[in-house]
Amino acid sequence: MNKLYSIKYFVLCSAFSSFSYLARGQTVPEILKFKKLAAIIAKTDDTTRVFNFFASWCMPCIKELPEFESLAQEKKHEKVKIIYVSLDFINSYQESLIPLMNKLALTQKVYLLNESDPNKWINEIDKNWSGSIPATLIVNHQKKRYKFIPNSISKATLKKYLP
Amino acid sequence: MKLFIGIISVVSFFLITSFKNFPTKKTAEKTVMDFSLKNTDGKFISLKDYPNAKGFMIVFTCNHCPFAKLYPPRLNALNEEFAPLGVPLIAISSTDTIQYEADGYLHMVEKSKNENFNFPYLYDGTQKVAKQFKADKTPHAYLIWRENNKWVIKYNGAIDDNGAEAEKVKNAYLSMAVETLLKGHNPQVTETKSIGCQIHFRK
Repeated sequence: MNKLYSIKYFVLCSAFSSFSYLARGQTVPEILKFKKLAAIIAKTDDTTRVFNFFASWCMPCIKELPEFESLAQEKKHEKVKIIYVSLDFINSYQESLIPLMNKLALTQKVYLLNESDPNKWINEIDKNWSGSIPATLIVNHQKKRYKFIPNSISKATLKKYLP
Repeated sequence: MKLFIGIISVVSFFLITSFKNFPTKKTAEKTVMDFSLKNTDGKFISLKDYPNAKGFMIVFTCNHCPFAKLYPPRLNALNEEFAPLGVPLIAISSTDTIQYEADGYLHMVEKSKNENFNFPYLYDGTQKVAKQFKADKTPHAYLIWRENNKWVIKYNGAIDDNGAEAEKVKNAYLSMAVETLLKGHNPQVTETKSIGCQIHFRK
């Protein structure tokens, strides 16, 4: 009986802690290769995906992250997903990206793109992108939307590009 | 008859050469003008100060950008290798110093000393030179070459293909372009993409 109680207590506790962990935001990014990112960009469901390319070392990027967070809150009942794609260095993201994610309490998915040579994937996003960040891609294949913005962007402007 | 064949061969020679030239004319190479910018030693530097230079590696960089911070040892190595062959390296900082205090001139002087730059580090306070080159991020490398007393852009983009880990570089784009030109050929790769900090142009 005692044992059962402690198991119950344990389950309850861990459920609670994982819940509060989700509410606070994630603490680690999901590391992926471009092939997988390309598959997410290519999804043909009726969700508009907003991919924000950023890095913890890029000041204008950090400045605009709250705009994306705010948009995510506003659109949380609509078919709009904000996805952060970090271009942080794979050998130092633990000291740079993770603290930033915690500090800003990012609520939306963070991927860390593990590709060293941008020439292998930048053209697949947009041929005219030189590689400077921040940059944002808005995609909804069903609504034939593919808008790439190679600059900083505000929430108000982002909303104009949503279908 | 001999004259006729002669004329035919001369005409066809010109036809063939003009056709051969056609594609290169189509992708017109951009030229850049000389400039005069202040170095970290207080002296002004222009391209014309190097009468024997065959070309230049011009690298737009800055103090604050973590991506640019990965490159100073590699820039020193590039200059050490190619300056004696007539292709020196010049670094230019064109960042908006109002937005990034760390990029101010005095901080550049400090950085140049601390990192033992063996090349000039020029302050483009008006951002005119960056605009002329259409440099949009740091680091952003250019290779310019002297042709008929003009400076022709032969390559622009990344310094190499691995910012974070210098020892894992597979394609050293900039130095490959210099080597090709030193052998008398145009580089096959004339433009590459690279990640970097956007140069914020003041309006």
